[in-house]
Amino acid sequence: MSTDQQDDSDTQIDVAEGIDHQVAMVMDLNKCIGCQTCTIACKTLWTEDGGSEYMYWNNVETKPGAGYPRGWEDSGGGWQSGEHSERQPGEIPDQEDYGRAWEFNHSEIMYEGSDEPLRPREGAEWGPNWDEDEGAGEYPNSYYFYLPRICNHCTHPSCVEACPRSALYKREEDGIVLVDQERCRGYRYCVEGCPYKKVYYNTVSKKSEKCIFCYPRIEGEGPDGQTYAPACAEECPPQLRLVGFLDDEQGPIYKLVEEYEVALPLHPEFQTQPNVYYIPPFAPPQHTEDGETVDVDRIPRQYLEQLFGEGIDQALDTIERHRQRIERGGESELMEILQDKNPAKQYRLEVFDDG
Amino acid sequence: MGEGRPSRVTVSVVCIAALVVLTSVATPFASARPAHEIPFSEVQGSGLASPTADGWDGVPSSDVALGSAPSSVPNADDTTVETVHVQAARSDERLFVRLQWHDATRDVGADSMRRFNDAVAVQFPVNTSARPPIAMGGQRNMVNVWYWSSDTGTQELLAGGPGSTTAFPDPAVSANATYHGSGANATWTVVYVRDLEAAGENRTTLETEGDLDVAFAVWNGSNAERAGQKSVSEWHYFPSESRSAGPPFEALLWSVAGVAVVAVVAVTAFGVARARGGMQ
Repeated sequence: MSTDQQDDSDTQIDVAEGIDHQVAMVMDLNKCIGCQTCTIACKTLWTEDGGSEYMYWNNVETKPGAGYPRGWEDSGGGWQSGEHSERQPGEIPDQEDYGRAWEFNHSEIMYEGSDEPLRPREGAEWGPNWDEDEGAGEYPNSYYFYLPRICNHCTHPSCVEACPRSALYKREEDGIVLVDQERCRGYRYCVEGCPYKKVYYNTVSKKSEKCIFCYPRIEGEGPDGQTYAPACAEECPPQLRLVGFLDDEQGPIYKLVEEYEVALPLHPEFQTQPNVYYIPPFAPPQHTEDGETVDVDRIPRQYLEQLFGEGIDQALDTIERHRQRIERGGESELMEILQDKNPAKQYRLEVFDDG
Repeated sequence: MGEGRPSRVTVSVVCIAALVVLTSVATPFASARPAHEIPFSEVQGSGLASPTADGWDGVPSSDVALGSAPSSVPNADDTTVETVHVQAARSDERLFVRLQWHDATRDVGADSMRRFNDAVAVQFPVNTSARPPIAMGGQRNMVNVWYWSSDTGTQELLAGGPGSTTAFPDPAVSANATYHGSGANATWTVVYVRDLEAAGENRTTLETEGDLDVAFAVWNGSNAERAGQKSVSEWHYFPSESRSAGPPFEALLWSVAGVAVVAVVAVTAFGVARARGGMQ
């Protein structure tokens, strides 16, 4: 237990009622290089069928930015309060806000000898991460960072509550939120209800689809019977994701979220209690035009608080304190967890026999 | 007031009584059918499967009032279709139900996430001896629903309460639809056809001895209507046998009621006139 922890009794794991264990993920935003490898790993594994061309169950967007779908943070959904008694109205994004699947001039270049650059044929006016690397701020103090997003498999999922047919449900064994494709009748109330806009509607199958936390992988359903973390985590070049159970008290997720409180949920004000957490991004302090360092945050704290809630100050301060401890030659369990490259520690998925 | 001349009160009372009798007796004879009855014709052959078949001209019709369904989905009160025009006919082998309603926008093929289809449904009790809860039936009293959507076609559904709707793997009902006209007069016409004998568990028996309860629902896709956001009717019924006019006992009852009203009015008028005469 960390010495930073003021009171052990503060630690309380909020697993949804009726759920044995809650699977969770921590993403360290300081490691994300925006390469979209996770996006492609997910895309090729799960969303290649007709009607899912526009879908990215995992996407990486540049912040500050409009995101995917465009403006999702202002599209409503979630709960009005932590009591989860009344949902917040939401809306279904327009196709143009997701972006359409573009057609490229592959045939001209590869078979017809064209020396044009590879590019979309037409209609490329918006798409996932269209505003890549634009960010905000003025030279020499502009800033941006990458935000990978999957379904948060929330403790209080408003998509589940929004469905009048109970076609969405939260799995008892691990809290993964799934769409029962047999029950779904394409009403799209779940799309409205999710404030993160991580449920998608397939206009071909007439059903909703979403991130399944790669449950066949974590169940060891592959050919060799091995358990694997979700593809977005395993395929990530800088290995920025930790996967495990929130209620595994020996695991890194529990330590980062509950003990050190440095991993924060995205937009906690939506009141769904996400189970994907983020180590907030650090950036060098601001510079003057002459290149001198000044003691002003490059990424405004206020903006990070908008994204990650009131815990941001404490989280950044705790990480900074541990960094300094290492710089002074000391030891820090927190820093060890954040820098661990041992897959057995990064992905703890077999700790619960019934999980 | 002198003896032998009818007083103004008496004249007024007689006029009112005559009016009451007229409205009591004439109205039922004019409509000649209870409010929730959907009449049907006995027909030969199967020529009514087409929505535009000439045979439909001779089939009696009903305008069934619709209102927003009681539902917990968002915007449940926001519905647009207020009436559905219903016709029904039965041959030796099949039941035909034809539904028509006005919809200024033809919403077909929801090819984007914000578009929804026009749709219509007919609901019957699975067990025709008892009337289920109107909102998709109940757990012990299920409903058999014939559902047609402009995009996905016909489905046969079973439901035992809101949110429990389940599609039969092999629907016993088929439907044909047309959309004609433009603007406010643009009309969907959908004809459902089902064999009277259709085997299968949880499927309504159409060859019932008594009346057959039936209810209707319409969705306007351009108003984002789907699920519980729909226009629905109350329970109506197809009578146990076809009839073009109201049953004789009904006219008799109305006549008796009319006579009773007249008698009461006359006695009251007589009493009032006598009381006034006594006072003079």
